[in-house]
Parts: sequence; C-alpha cells; structure tokens
Amino acid sequence: MNIKELLNEILLKDKAFIHMPFGEGRFDIYESVVVTWIIMAVILILLLILTRDFKVHNISKRQAAVESFVLWLRGLVDGMLGEEAARYTDYISTVLLYLAVSNMIGLFGFIPPTMDINVTAALSLMSIILVEAAGIRKKGVLKWLKGFTEPMAIITPMNILELAIRPLSLCMRLFGNIIGATVIMELIKHVLPVFLPVPFCLYFDIFDGLIQAYVFVFLTSLYIKEAVE
Amino acid sequence: MLEFSPINIICIVANLLILYAIFKIFLFKRVDDILLKRQEEVDEATKAADIATAKALETKKEYENKIALADEEKEQILADIKKQGYDEYERIVSDARKKGDQILTEARHNAEVENERAKEVYAAQITDMVIDAASKIAATKHSAADDRKLYEKFISEAGVDNE
Repeated sequence: MNIKELLNEILLKDKAFIHMPFGEGRFDIYESVVVTWIIMAVILILLLILTRDFKVHNISKRQAAVESFVLWLRGLVDGMLGEEAARYTDYISTVLLYLAVSNMIGLFGFIPPTMDINVTAALSLMSIILVEAAGIRKKGVLKWLKGFTEPMAIITPMNILELAIRPLSLCMRLFGNIIGATVIMELIKHVLPVFLPVPFCLYFDIFDGLIQAYVFVFLTSLYIKEAVE
Repeated sequence: MLEFSPINIICIVANLLILYAIFKIFLFKRVDDILLKRQEEVDEATKAADIATAKALETKKEYENKIALADEEKEQILADIKKQGYDEYERIVSDARKKGDQILTEARHNAEVENERAKEVYAAQITDMVIDAASKIAATKHSAADDRKLYEKFISEAGVDNE
C-alpha cells in the first residue's frame, strides 16, 4: 500500500455512523460525534464515581487525588489565561480534558474524534466565539470594534482577516497533527507490524496527543488573554 | 473526513457545551463546594483566633494596668511607712532629748540644792566652831600671840574639814 492509498483510506472513507431520516432525505451522524458521546458517557460515569461522598474532613485518597488534579489543572490554565480572564478557566479546562482524551482514545481502538475536521472546526469555532465574546464583554462593542484599527488604521483589513485566520489555523493545526501522526503510525505498522509500533505508539498516541491538546488550549488562552487586555 | 458537515459541527458544539456542563456540575462545582466549606472553616477558625488574641491582649493590658497600679500602691505604702518610721524616730529622739534635758536640769537643781545644803552645814559648823573658840577664849587668859595661834589653828581645822 502506498501513501496515496493510505491517505485515501484515512481521509476519504465513509465516516457516517448513523443515518437519520430527515424530511424526504436524511442526515448522517459521523463516527466522531458518536465517539464523542462515548467519551462524554465515560467521563460522566467516571466523575460520578470519583466525586461521590466528598467530605470536608477525613477525606479519602480518591478525593485528595481529585482535588489535587483539579487544583493543578486550574493552576495550569489560570497561568495561561491570566487573572483578567480567570472566569474562562473551567471552559478551557474542559476543552483540554476533552482533547486529551480524544487524542489518546486511539489506544482503546476508537478512531480519535480529532481526526475529523468537523470536530476541530467546531472546537475552533467555539474558541474564536469565546475570544471575541471575552473581548466584547471586557471592552464593550465600540471599543472592541475600535480595536480592529489598532495599532494603526492601515492594518484594519489584516485584523479583520485574523477573525477567520485564527480559528482556521487552530482547526488545521490540530487536524493536521493528528492525521499526520495517524499516517505515520499506519506506515510504521506496514513496515513492521510487531514491536516497532510500540515506542511510536507511545509517542504519537500519548505524548503527541497531549502536546496537541495543550497547544490548542494554550493558543486559545493566549487569544483570550490578548482580547481582555 | 475532509468534508464539512454543519449538522455534525453543531452536534460537536452541543456535545462540547454538554461536556462543559458535566465537568462544571460533577467536578468543578463539587470540588469548589468542598474547598469553599474548608475555606469558611479556616476563616471562622482564623476569626475565632483573632478574637481570642484580641481578648488575650486586652486581658494582658488589664493585668499590666493592675500591676502598674499595684506598683504605685506599693510605692505609696513604702513612702507612708518610711514617713511613719521617720516621724516615729523624730518623736523618739525628741522625747529622749527632752528627757535628757529634764534629767540634766533636775541633776543641776539637785546639785545646787545639795550645794546649798552643804554650804548651810559648813556655815553651821563654822558657827559652832566660832562659838566654841569664843567660849575657849573667854574661859582662858591669853596674849596676842595665843590669839594668833588660836586663829591659825581654827583656820587650818576649817581647811581640813573643807577638804
């Protein structure tokens, strides 16, 4: 199998998982959406198990671990967002956890949702809406609009273009990295199906997945921080 | 996987919002509630400790005031006692002086009385001796030389008696 065939198999395969009748036609629910539902269900069950019987005193090891994890996560995200945008910490933390789980779900035999451009597009859309909403909330509509003419009026078109470029770059970076990792892994598996994929799997499915989640969240936080300053 | 599907994008956005709600309700809020309760307890304990500290400081101040007051009282008592002691000393010394003066005056008076009495005794003795001498002279014949002898003898006797 050559790379072209491989890319065709990965990128152009039918990803519709559920066919829903709609009027005279139908619409398809993609596999990425279904995998996201699975992720949501697993996360919900895990959270229900992990956060039950929380106490103020004499806490269990489980509670201590959950509290430490939440505090660590918030510290990490707060550090990226800054004090003025601290209200968005919980959303950014959610995106970080979702991306981390999505990028690593290949370990359990699922196709990572982030391999679907619709998922990365949705995430980027949400990010840019949040960035601009944070800017409008902080500065007001007029000041926000005036912000497009800064630092000088001549670059106003550039600033307007950034509204589309930022989410596009976020979307394509994440999608490209995950697809790239998958293609490389497939090639490695074709070269030597046994032993060789193990270290690469550790890198691409775990380390690279976490790195990409962090990069996406870091850039979104940076844009929000810029918008509220 | 390169085809954009608005329905699926909307589904993912909805999923993301639901996931945010799940995390918010079942993780962040629960942890926040616990942390808040703990913080409230710590605040209450801190407040109680602050109140106790303020109370302790107030008690300490009261105690210090009492000690200062007691010191003043002690000084006052000591000063009073010293004054009383000094007055007593003055009184005793003055009494002793008065008594001494009185004893001295009495002694002088007694001495003068004794002296007067002795003088009277001498005068009586001299009178007796003069009478005695006169009667002796009257009883015997005597010359001027005998008178002189008699006179000297009287003088010497009177001197011996006076010694």
